[in-house]
Amino acid sequence: MAAAKKELVEKFKAEASRAGALVHEAVDAKDANNYVLKLAQERNVKHAVKSKSKVADKLNLRERLEKADIEVKETTLEEWITQLAGKKQAGRKTIKQMAELISKATGKKLNHDPQVLLNSANRAIKQSCIDADMGISEASVAIAETGTLVITSNSGDSRLVAVLPRIHLTVVDCENIVPTLEDAAARIKPLGKNKADGYISSYVTYITGRNTTADIPGAILARAQGPAEEHILLLNGATSNRGAA
Amino acid sequence: MSRAMTKRVHKALADENLQTALTRLMGLIKFARQIAFTGIDFESLSKEIRRVKEKSIASLPQLVEQFKSKATEAGAIVYEAEDAEDANNYVLKLSQKHDVKHIVKSKSMLGEEIELREHLEQAGIKVTETDIGEWIVQLAGERPAHIVGPAVHKTIEQVAELISKATGQELGTDPQALLDAARSALRQTYIDADMGISGANIAIAETGTLTIVTNEGNGCMATTLPPVHVAVVGYEKIVSSWEDAAAIFRLLSRCTAGMKMPVYISHITGPSLTDAIPGSILHGAGGPGEVHIVLVDNGRLQMREAAEFREALYCIKCGTCLNVCPVFASLAGQTYGHIYQGGIGTVLTAFLHGMDNAEDIASLCLSCMACKEACPAGIDIPRMITKLRASLAEEKGLPWMSKVAYRGILKYPQRLDSTVKAGSYLLQPFADKDSMIRRLPYPLNSLTQAISLPAPTHQPIRDRLKNHWTPKEVGKPKVAFYSGCIAAYAYPEIGEDVINVIKEYGAEPYYPIGQACCGAPAFFAGDFDTALSLAKTNIAALEEMSPDYIVTVCPGCATVIQREYPELTTSEPEWNQRARAISDKIRDFSQLVLELEPSAEKKPSRNRKITYHDPCHLKRGIGISNEPRKLLEREGFELVEMADADACCGFGGHIVLDYPKLSAAILKRKLKNIEATGVDTVVTNCLPCVLQLRGGLDKIHTKTKVIHSAELLSKCREAT
Ligand code: SF4
Repeated sequence: MAAAKKELVEKFKAEASRAGALVHEAVDAKDANNYVLKLAQERNVKHAVKSKSKVADKLNLRERLEKADIEVKETTLEEWITQLAGKKQAGRKTIKQMAELISKATGKKLNHDPQVLLNSANRAIKQSCIDADMGISEASVAIAETGTLVITSNSGDSRLVAVLPRIHLTVVDCENIVPTLEDAAARIKPLGKNKADGYISSYVTYITGRNTTADIPGAILARAQGPAEEHILLLNGATSNRGAA
Repeated sequence: MSRAMTKRVHKALADENLQTALTRLMGLIKFARQIAFTGIDFESLSKEIRRVKEKSIASLPQLVEQFKSKATEAGAIVYEAEDAEDANNYVLKLSQKHDVKHIVKSKSMLGEEIELREHLEQAGIKVTETDIGEWIVQLAGERPAHIVGPAVHKTIEQVAELISKATGQELGTDPQALLDAARSALRQTYIDADMGISGANIAIAETGTLTIVTNEGNGCMATTLPPVHVAVVGYEKIVSSWEDAAAIFRLLSRCTAGMKMPVYISHITGPSLTDAIPGSILHGAGGPGEVHIVLVDNGRLQMREAAEFREALYCIKCGTCLNVCPVFASLAGQTYGHIYQGGIGTVLTAFLHGMDNAEDIASLCLSCMACKEACPAGIDIPRMITKLRASLAEEKGLPWMSKVAYRGILKYPQRLDSTVKAGSYLLQPFADKDSMIRRLPYPLNSLTQAISLPAPTHQPIRDRLKNHWTPKEVGKPKVAFYSGCIAAYAYPEIGEDVINVIKEYGAEPYYPIGQACCGAPAFFAGDFDTALSLAKTNIAALEEMSPDYIVTVCPGCATVIQREYPELTTSEPEWNQRARAISDKIRDFSQLVLELEPSAEKKPSRNRKITYHDPCHLKRGIGISNEPRKLLEREGFELVEMADADACCGFGGHIVLDYPKLSAAILKRKLKNIEATGVDTVVTNCLPCVLQLRGGLDKIHTKTKVIHSAELLSKCREAT
């Protein structure tokens, strides 16, 4: 790692920790997976939710946790449907296939109206976020200056995964750490791929450290309304080799 | 100042719970500020915010258009509301259209301003505040006490009672248990809600993005879980770019919470979307399917047009001006009677709730300038309050007593001298042997409640120093002594000390005989005509012998002469030039001595400890705080710093006359800090401060002495 790069990572680690996040820099994919598994087991996690994350997918993180009997539910619609379909039914689904899958998952007979399907899926996804012990996200950008995670997406599940469960873990590829708030702004503006050109994602959520409140007299208390623990898992190019599941 | 306000002030001062909560709060704030501001360049970061806000407000019409078109393109629905009613009705209709039964709301000052929650509740909709502080205030059936910490006026016992009642549990006063109970109660409300309402800290025009900052996480949930999200946003929140927003983030949380960054910043651009289902792109994927943005004017655009008040729109609602305000520290927000409190609140209230409402709040300003110094947007709040008083004076006229005082007496130095002399004989029977007045009869009795007053002199300074009115020796720097009224009528002997000490430093001091009151009382009351007339009298008197320096012992006068005379004379170029020339020559006593003798050696230690009180107008008015300390140390004294040395002593503004009890409460904190140093001498370079501190210490019978530097140096010389 180039010296400048290393410095950036160190700065990010220091700032995020100062703000109350718990940071682990994984040496490789195996270490990353083991770290998350150990964390989940130590914290008695039974149900986890995971919003869309290429980094976690490359690590096979979900499979690794599932093997250890921890339920992991995808929350981003496309991934949620793929997970419902299972390995046998890969590829993009027709509306009919979707209606079947969603009907089965929700126990209700649903017709092929996209809006109806979406509403049912939403309800199920929200409920799993509410019930989960742990949320897993990916930050597309991280800001060294302030130790901030930047989570971008067009769907709201990315935010529910980050705030509802009692433990939140975010994976970050060190390649995506930028020095300043302005650098982050430059990266974020063109990120929205799903909308017409020039749009940014519907949600760009900055998270810096652990949530707190000073509203109860006496002290500044950690864990206001969000998670009790904010974990950050840093990976150095670990996405290039496959995780040992 | 109205009776109702006096009543509220007295009620707050007598409320033990409130005072306990405030003491705790102020300690916490001080601690947080210390952490948040060490190691950063506050000045340059605040300049950045200033630059961004100036630029944004200047180009507001274009930015509004850009914001609207970008937000609409992204799928949000934008509505522009003229006033509170318009905004409230829009939200109510929308709720009715969606058959909304339950709303969750994250904190919004604008929401409070337009009373949105009340409006919806009246229509039978249940609205739950989700910021824990705001929720506590809602449970108590009150309005927020602070723009950042709504429940800062509550003690833990009161909070425990409220949360116990709301959750139907018997909860003790353990903060963690209370927080857990609050969290789970609120968690369910997000899940049940059909609509989420928020404000926005910033709105970014280039992408049509709403930016919502919270530390608790409630903002994320209230804007994601319910199917409809409505944001109420004041026009002044719009900035051009993400980079502009970044400049604001860099200081916002340091000011609000002593944190480097807010924990959560939600940037929301249009509704949530998905293309995972074949067909079209669908709204409402794991988040709201509808996002409404209500841009609210309610007086803001008018404020933008008023050049003198425009900068109030630069406010980022960080609450710092409340946190550093000595009046707020004694009263908390509810006393102000309106939703925006403290310094900036006065100006905002005037425009957003009507001029009538501002008069009372304006009377609560000490003019101590603590807010101006600390504001991250560099807003000159005290100046705006003075301008506000001027508009009020113009509109309603001055009270008759002030009119007689300012226009009939203050303007004419000789007349003022004789009035005080006459008064001094009248007051003679009330003075004790040591020339202190400890008790006055009704209706003046309140004046001597908190402090003892010095008896006015029978021989004002003009009579004493009339032989000194022309400089005699040539070749030495000429120093004109501008005494100000307190030296003239209460402490003329300190004026004599100034003349004597300056002579010893090799200069030629003299007393310009034509000098008059600087005009501060009239100026701060908004009587600019009288102030201008006095400015001219003094400019003429002070320039007469072409002095090299003008030395002052009253920083209030120094500030008015140095900063306001040039301002007051802007429409008269010739006077303006003369005012500027005078302004450049103004020196505080200590500053002058150091300039006259810059390289003197440090004197051997006198083995004497002293502490120094920073007068507001010396430190923040003309920017002098190191010089007095340096001089004292050079003279061989050992300086012991008191806590909050630069906090106001309570003499400022008209507070000491209008609300003597409030002034006393502020003075009490100062005296406590003095006492804590264990030192028996307080030095301060301001005679009004000397008056206030001496008077206060006399009341509590301590032996601590209060002394002006000039007096101290003069005494040292007599002793040797
Ligand atoms: S006026 Fe300045 S200090 Fe006061 S709330 Fe606004 S930005 Fe903060």
